Order: sequence, then C-alpha cells, then structure tokens
Amino acid sequence: MLTPGRYFLAGNVATAEAALLAGCRFYAGYPITPSSELMEHMAKRMVEENGVFIQMEDELSAISAIIGAAWTGKKAMTATSGPGFSLMQENIGYAAMTETPIVIVDVMRGGPSTGQPTIVAQGDVLQSRFGSHGDYETIVLSPNSVQELFDLTIRAFNLAAMFRNPVIVLSDAELAHMVEKVEVPKSVELIDFNQIEIDMVPSFVPLGYGFRVAVTGLTHNFKGYPITNDVKVHRELVTRLVNKIIKNEPLISDVEIINPDADTIIVSYGIASRAAYPVIRRHKNVGLFRPRTLWPFPESKFKDIVRGKRIITLEMNLRGYAMEVERLGRKYGAVDFKTINIIGGEVPKPSHIEEVL
Amino acid sequence: MYPTINTDYCKGCNLCVEVCPKKVFETGRNITHRGYYAAVVSFKEQCTNFKIPNGGKPLCEICWLTCPEHAIEFKGD
Amino acid sequence: MEFFDFYRQDRWPHQFCPGCGLGTIMNCLYKAFNDLNIDLNKTVFVSGIGCTGRVPGYINADSLHTTHGRAIAFATGIKLARPDLNVIVISGDGDLFAIGGNHTIHAARRNIDIKVIAVNNANYGLTGGQLAPTTPYNMITTTSPYGHREYPFALAELVAAAGANYVARWTTAHPNQLVKSIKEAMQTKGFSFIEVVSQCPVNFGRRNKMGDPVIHLRWIKEHSMPLTKMTFDVSSPYDIVDINTKGIYIVGDLVKRNRAVYGEIEHEVTVKGPKE
Repeated sequence: MLTPGRYFLAGNVATAEAALLAGCRFYAGYPITPSSELMEHMAKRMVEENGVFIQMEDELSAISAIIGAAWTGKKAMTATSGPGFSLMQENIGYAAMTETPIVIVDVMRGGPSTGQPTIVAQGDVLQSRFGSHGDYETIVLSPNSVQELFDLTIRAFNLAAMFRNPVIVLSDAELAHMVEKVEVPKSVELIDFNQIEIDMVPSFVPLGYGFRVAVTGLTHNFKGYPITNDVKVHRELVTRLVNKIIKNEPLISDVEIINPDADTIIVSYGIASRAAYPVIRRHKNVGLFRPRTLWPFPESKFKDIVRGKRIITLEMNLRGYAMEVERLGRKYGAVDFKTINIIGGEVPKPSHIEEVL
Repeated sequence: MYPTINTDYCKGCNLCVEVCPKKVFETGRNITHRGYYAAVVSFKEQCTNFKIPNGGKPLCEICWLTCPEHAIEFKGD
Repeated sequence: MEFFDFYRQDRWPHQFCPGCGLGTIMNCLYKAFNDLNIDLNKTVFVSGIGCTGRVPGYINADSLHTTHGRAIAFATGIKLARPDLNVIVISGDGDLFAIGGNHTIHAARRNIDIKVIAVNNANYGLTGGQLAPTTPYNMITTTSPYGHREYPFALAELVAAAGANYVARWTTAHPNQLVKSIKEAMQTKGFSFIEVVSQCPVNFGRRNKMGDPVIHLRWIKEHSMPLTKMTFDVSSPYDIVDINTKGIYIVGDLVKRNRAVYGEIEHEVTVKGPKE
C-alpha cells in the first residue's frame, strides 16, 4: 500500500491505490477503455494485498460479483466506462434496493453507444442518478484532479459503508490518464460498517456468520421476506431508501465555493470546472459553485448563495446537471441562467466562459 | 408406521397416488377446508414401513420425498 | 435437523402451484443436507428470478435472491470473498441458460467451487408459460401458440462441455437418485451441476395435454432413460434435442472428473515466449 508522501500518479492508478488504502479487497471487472488501466493495476496489486481480483465475462457479472462479495462484508468495487455502466444499471438498482455498500468507478467517455472510446465527456451525469428503474438514490462523487480522485475514492468507500448504498465515482477519460501530484495523507479516516449510526440506515448483517439473512430485490419487510402486493410495505421501504440519502444530504454533500458574493456564479464539476479558476482570477465579479458530490444535489449549500445571481452552468454534455441547477436555482431566487455545453472531446477553456460573461 | 396426510398442506395433486409402489393412497372424494380434494390413505397396512415401529428409519419414503407440499408424515398408531 | 429447521416455518406453506415439482426438489434438498449434516450457518443459497428463484427464500439459511440471470455471478463473488462457505445456486432453466447462459458456462469453465441445481420445467412458469430455451420441439406455450419451432438446449451436456467437475441430470420422477446426486455434488470440489427435469402442470402441462401433474410426471418418467442403459452410437435414435418426437432425457451422472478448481490452480508459467 502507498505510504504517506508525495507521488506522481495517473488518475486510474491513483483510484486503484486509493481503493486499496480504503480497505477494498475485492475487485471484479471487465476491461473497457478508458478504465482498463485501473483494472490492470488492480490485477497486479490485489495479489500483493491478499485480495481477490477476477475478470468476469461481462459488466453484468462484474457488478453482480461485487454485490455478492459486499454481502459477505468485504469492501468491493468495480470500474467501468459508458457502455459498461449502462449494462450495470439494473444491478445498481438491486444494490440500492438491497442496501448493499458497493463502489463503482465510472470513467466517462463520449457517448451515446460506443461513441468516442478514448475521449473525455460528462454524459453519464444523469445516468449515474436516474439510470435504473424505480425510485432510488445513489451517491455520486465528481473529482476534478488526480488528488481529488484519490481522496474521493476513499470517501466513496466510507459513504458506502455509512449509508449502505451504491456510491459512484465519476472519473473521466481525461482525469484517468492525467498524471499529477498526489499527496497521501499520514492518516486516512476509514469508516467501517455499522460504525456510525445514521437515521434510516439499518445495521449491516453480512452473509456467512450464522444470521440466516434473507436478501431479495423484491419489496421486502424488515425480515427480508418478499411482500410484493402490500401497499404499506412498499411505500415505507422505498420512501426510506430515498429519504436516507435525500434527508441526510447535508451530511453527504461536499462543495467548493469561491466568491459566493459575486454576481455571477459558475456551476461546474469534474474536469470541466478547471476552466473556471482562471476566469475567477481575472474577473472579480465571478464566483464558483463546484459540487464534489453531484447527487444528492447539494441543496443545503446551494440555496444560500444563489439569491439574485446569474448562474452559468458549464459541463461537457448537452443535457445534464443544468436541468437540476435551473430547477433549484429558480426555487431559491436566481435570476438568469446560461449553460455552456461543450462536447466532442474538447476540454472547456476559460475563453468559453468569458464569451458568455 | 404408515403415511398420514396433513390436510392443512395437501393441494390434491395426487402425485402420492401415482408414485407409491404399494398403492397405499387413493384419490380423495371430500373437499378440504382449503378447497382441494386431498388424497387419502386407504390401505395403510400395505405400506412397506407398516411394521417399522414409530420413529424408526423408514425403508421407503418415495411418497414423502415426492409430496410437493410436505403434507405426508410417517406416524405410528 | 428437522424439516422446519431447514425451511423457514413462518413462510410455509410455499406459493408453488399444486403438483409443482419444486416441492419434490425441496424435499430432496432437505434430505441430502440432513444426511450430510451440513452446517446451515456456513451455507449460502443464491437464486435468480423465476419460480425456482423463490426456493432459497424458504430455506432457513443465508439466501440471496438476485436479479434475472445473474445468480451465478453473485455466487462467484460470494465464493471468492468467503471460500469457506458452501455456495449453492438454485435457479430455473430460463434464468441460468437464457438470460444467464453466459455466466453459467463461464463459471463452469473457471470450475469455481459452487453447486448449481438447475430446475428445468421446459418453460417460463412464473411469467405465465412462455417458451424457454429448453422447450421441446413442437410443444405449445403462450409465445409459441402454433408449436415451438426451435430445438432445446441440452443443459447438462452444455455444462459438461464447458468443463464442470460434476454434471448430472435427474428428474422429479427419480427423487431417491436426486438425493444421492445432491450429496455427490456437495462432496465434489469444483463446479457441480445438477439438472432436474421437473413438471409444470399448470403452465406447461396444461397446454400440452398434461394438465394433471400425475400425467406430466408419467410423461417425464417415460421420456427419461438412465445413462447406463444407453448405447452410444452415432445413429442412436435417442437424441436430447428432439425429445418430443423420439428423444429422451438421459438421466444419471454424466461427468465426474477432477479438474483443478478455481483458486487452487498453482501459478506456473506454462506458455513460453518465442525463441530469440
């Protein structure tokens, strides 16, 4: 494992090392550009750390295997990219329904379909939240540097264990291959299952310890027995599953805010947000709202700064986060909305923002 | 001991009538409280296990194994 | 171990139709586990979707009722994470061989130490009797109202070819042999697979003049022949693929072998690079 100190790491490698540092000892995956290096690094390192690494036959089985492993009490993760992430959606819903703590790293690439396999995009922002059917919530983290990719991957495991919910780290093709300085802190805070009591999160009882656990993706009662045609049971279960994330949003959300008093606020996240920093330095009247936790939407932090402001959303997709920003911006009194949508593989430049200022 | 049929469980599929090599069972004619024609044990003395004392290991338990509802139980008098 | 130590009494009676073969298979499972005295605290039952997928929910052990087709992939994760557990997959033919066919053959190829009981009722019972990859030729189902025009999979042979250590096929008309086979599978290291041909009188039988479970069971019995009585001949009229016309289900232990189990393979470099 990485000892504390400074390293020069590529994004994919930093993610893998962070996962190992967070206690991940089970990796199942299927190679897909641009997440393959993560898997290759895991293949080498899992053996050294006495963990389990397996290359499954497809993404469907990769996420299935990590859910199975997570139910035995192991910290488990998988990494994938656009098309593979789409294949995983059904079981992300299953993990949400069965309250399984897993971590999925989605290295975003240009879509739809096979799209641009080696090129950066941010098209999976809504899929990471709404991809599976039915009402459920995921926790989605969005780093904008390799250092943050490292830190947020560790946090992803902590959040998964705290909330018993799938946690998605939205890396992207650019971050994954970018080599940057990574500072490994002296001590890393790791949260284990059942360590912190959180409202609406039941304690995690793993398989294989004699508790005779019943796990099912069907609507179930507190015993885990399927009860599919009782209105009350379903309503209570699904409401709790959604509320345990939504109501605990202040506990989860993590944002970077620069110049909250400025007239114009740029809302951006991930690799795209790096274009905002020079703009803020050059223009006094521009601020930044950068969620590190995309979903649940950091409403508690957003509502305080938007009243009477112009909001510019910068992202690398045509329809994504701007929808939610606009909805909540109107709710909390923002006056003007603009979106900058850059697709095709070009990383946004400061000039893109300055054009609309 | 010989087989008895628990009418709380029996759904009247008559598989026991079919599989018993000694023809101990017969198709029932009376409807149970669950609405099925439960099979009946008509010739219990023909059962292979008839002479085995209660609680012993049955020699043949094909009816017990086949009964999908777990309605058959071996009992003695 | 009493019957209701093995099954959850608070969930009994089960939901299966009158005359369903799953009840028979559940009895056989109990008997095999009782005879071998397997510790249920160290046993995990995994299932997919379907009638058979509901069976682990009745067993008083850890159970994982998963998404459609992925039971074996989930089981793989459990077994690799906790190699000391007995991992048993009970699922139907549609789940394991239609939507989840890829996982089944790959798990057999890896020869991972999980036990699979595939209940073959020749149709999709839970959704109302649609055709399955195991529906015999010319049989009528709700999605083949004029007769099925495809040939069925030979499940056991397929898994045997993929490399499993133990492969058997039995039917609900052979409960004693099935108990023996489950015991054999539990004691075999590596991927063990038992196909159980089962009756589905309500959804499959009813549309094929076998609505009475007794008649359906009789049909299965007539269409099955022990492996020991088979003569292997290229011109043999017994062919699994056209079971309806002249074929039969070959029952018995099809494969018993001792291939290295996944996770126990020694890391040896056997393939050398090109000479310089």
